[in-house]
Amino acid sequence: MTQSSNEMWTVTIVVPEGSSLDEAGETYDLEVGTDETILATARSAGVWLPADCQQGWCTTCAARLVDGDVVHPNARRYYDEDDEAGYILPCTAKPRTDTTIVVDQHDDFLEFRAANDRPPGNSKLNG
Amino acid sequence: MSEEKSHATGTVEPGDTSKRVGMEVIRERGLDPEELREKLIDAIGAEFTTYYYYTNLRMHLAGEEDYKEITEDARLEDRAHFELVVPRIYELEGSLPNDIRDFADRASCPDAEVPTPMDDSGGFDTSELEVEDILEVLLEAERCAIRTWSEICDMTRGADPRTYDMAQRILNEEMDHEAWFIELLSKERDDEINPAGHFARGEPGDAPYSTNNRFNDSA
Ligand code: FES
Repeated sequence: MTQSSNEMWTVTIVVPEGSSLDEAGETYDLEVGTDETILATARSAGVWLPADCQQGWCTTCAARLVDGDVVHPNARRYYDEDDEAGYILPCTAKPRTDTTIVVDQHDDFLEFRAANDRPPGNSKLNG
Repeated sequence: MSEEKSHATGTVEPGDTSKRVGMEVIRERGLDPEELREKLIDAIGAEFTTYYYYTNLRMHLAGEEDYKEITEDARLEDRAHFELVVPRIYELEGSLPNDIRDFADRASCPDAEVPTPMDDSGGFDTSELEVEDILEVLLEAERCAIRTWSEICDMTRGADPRTYDMAQRILNEEMDHEAWFIELLSKERDDEINPAGHFARGEPGDAPYSTNNRFNDSA
C-alpha cells in the first residue's frame, strides 16, 4: 500500500497483568499517524508509558511487537537482532500497518541485549 | 495490608550501620531507592559523556566564538551536574562503574558525537562539517537531558526531597541550555530570531542552580 504522511494506523497497546505500571492488565487502541511515534501518541492520549531519552538509546521504553510493522528512523541504538527478535522502542517507533505491542519489557530486553553483547545490556545488569 | 504499607520495612536499630534510614524513608514512601540509584547512575553517565563530547563539539566550532563560549558554559555545567549527584549515588549504597565503558554504555542519553565521519587516518573529516549540524547535536543532547531529569523529578516528587531538589535544579539548567541552542540554531539554520532571553553566565560553567558549594576551583 502506498503510504502518505497523514495515514493513520491502529496501534493496540497491551499492558501485561504483572506490570508495575498503573495500567497493568489494560489494553488500549490508539490511532497513530505514519509520522508519529507510538510513545508520543500514547502519552498524549493519557497512557503514560515508561520512557527516558526518547531517542531510541536508553531502552527504557522497550516493548514487544506481537503483530504488525513499525520503523525506527531516528533510533540511536536499534540493532537488526532487536528487529528480528520482535523488540521495538516505542519512543522512536512509527507504525507502517495496524500493530499490536506489549509494553513494559525493559527487563527482558536488557537480558536480550546482554545475551547479544549489545549495550546497555551487560553494563546495566552487572552494574 | 494496604498497597502503601507493603513497602514499609520497619525500623533501623540504634547504631546499626548496615542499613540507612536515608534509604528506608524513601522506601516507606513507595519509591525503590535501589531503582532510583540505578537511574541516577544512568543520568549522570549522560552528564559525564556529554561533558566529554561537548569538548569535541566546542573544538569544532572554531571561528564561531560566541557559539563556542555558550557550548563551554553548557559543557562545564554538565560536569557540575555529574559532580552534584555523585555523592547521592553513594548515599544510596551505589557506586560508579569501575569500567568507564560500562558507564558510557549505560548513560541515559546518546553520545553527542561530532556529526562528521572519521577520515581514513582516524581523524575528523571536517570538510563537510556545518555549524548548524553541531548546534543540532547540542540541542538534541539538551532535550534528552530534560527528559531524563523530568523523569527523575516525577519519580522522586513526594518521596525523596533530597534527590528531587538536585534533579529540579539540574533541570533548570538543562532548560536554559535548550533555549540557548534553539536560539542559535534558529538563527544559524533558519535565519530566524528566536530568543532565549539570556545573555551569558558570569563565568563559564557557573551552574547557578546546580552548584552547591565550590569545594575547590576545579569542582
Ligand atoms: S525512551 Fe529511551 S529508548 Fe525509548
